[in-house]
Amino acid sequence: MSRFSKSILVLALVGASTATFAFDSFKGVGRPATSAEVKAWDIDVRPDFKGLPKGSGNVERGNELFEEKCASCHGSFGESNEVFTPLAGGTTADDIKTGRVKGLSSGELPQRTTFTKVSTISTVFDYIQRAMPWTAPKSLKPDEVYAILAYLLNLQEIVPGDFTLSDKNIGDVQKLLPNRNGMTTDHGMWPGASAKKGGIGNGGKPDTDNKACMKNCKPEVLIGSTLPEYARTAHGELAEQYRSFGPVRGTRTLGPEAAKKAAEATTMELATKSGCMACHGMKSKIVGPGYNEVMTRYAGQPDAEGKLVAKVKAGGAGAWGSIPMPPNGHLADEDIKTLVKWILSGAK
Amino acid sequence: MGNPMKIRAANKDGVTEIKALISHEMETGQRKDAAGAVVPAWFITELTAKLGDKIVLAAEFGPSVSKNPYLAFKFKGGAKGDKVVVSWKDNKGDSRTDEAVIN
Repeated sequence: MSRFSKSILVLALVGASTATFAFDSFKGVGRPATSAEVKAWDIDVRPDFKGLPKGSGNVERGNELFEEKCASCHGSFGESNEVFTPLAGGTTADDIKTGRVKGLSSGELPQRTTFTKVSTISTVFDYIQRAMPWTAPKSLKPDEVYAILAYLLNLQEIVPGDFTLSDKNIGDVQKLLPNRNGMTTDHGMWPGASAKKGGIGNGGKPDTDNKACMKNCKPEVLIGSTLPEYARTAHGELAEQYRSFGPVRGTRTLGPEAAKKAAEATTMELATKSGCMACHGMKSKIVGPGYNEVMTRYAGQPDAEGKLVAKVKAGGAGAWGSIPMPPNGHLADEDIKTLVKWILSGAK
Repeated sequence: MGNPMKIRAANKDGVTEIKALISHEMETGQRKDAAGAVVPAWFITELTAKLGDKIVLAAEFGPSVSKNPYLAFKFKGGAKGDKVVVSWKDNKGDSRTDEAVIN
């Protein structure tokens, strides 16, 4: 019986003893619920088995009933996955011992079933009694619910085939439920004090732990990745698609022109970083030839790229005078290739 | 010797319906475990159902059949109280036989 139903009951009692007292403020509206009405409504079965009707049923009778009323949707063995997820299966004898279904955490289970998840047998009883069969809920008598539940427990290999389930031994069955230790109340979603203090919640404490950083915080944000060149223009002008305020801005992509410019800008950076710009000018000779001179000399030679890559790597003298170019073995081949391509396409 | 099968047999208007839930790993031999090693194939290759001495179903299973397969079939004949025997063999040479009484 829930708290709500208790208060109704109290109201009903008060109403009975002091005739019009409770309903004075709503004259002519409603009447106290009769005890029969409360009884018809108050059918829930709690984990501590409060509300559990008296009765019993065996596996064999349960098999008959299941075949008649349940199997069309759930399958003869509770295995059907078409209307509802399977009722039975997925647990091992070891799970019955430990009270925690291992397949749930190991990822071994291809499909969760009712009995891999449920941690209180009263819930299954309550559900069958309240909602099953789908076409005629609340039509099952307590003995029938016991029988069907006994059959399900037998399918799950929790009880033997000659077992009779009743209100007397359902508590013992609870102690064999495969996932009986699988429930946590430590998530702040349930009301009341913690389980240790006799409540069912944890005092409303969330299970996330978003602590503000007060010391040893990260001093700055490091950019871990950038937009790759080939993807720069994939989504148009990003700068216009982002908000103009707040911490995140879209980078300027502005069509293929901007992409090319951006690519060249990064190659220029690469050239500077690699030390090329110390000796080579963009359009003039410094120590070695300017890039424009290199481009002019090699224009129209299809093997120029490969030749130059080798030259940059090994260094050498002769082609442009006697001052040698130092070898550049420390540069990645990929970078050298990029630089040579950039020079031959008219470095800007 | 695998785990027992669950078998239901029911006769209605001269037609017997058999439903069986077979407990078997049914490994295809295509899967790899966390370490990247192939999980060896392990599946049922043959399944027969008999009514008395008469074979009412002979089936060849293979790796495409699911884990813990469910099998249902009907045949004409059989009467209440008759015994139906279902047995399988797998590629590791293991086998299992279970029976049910028609009701």
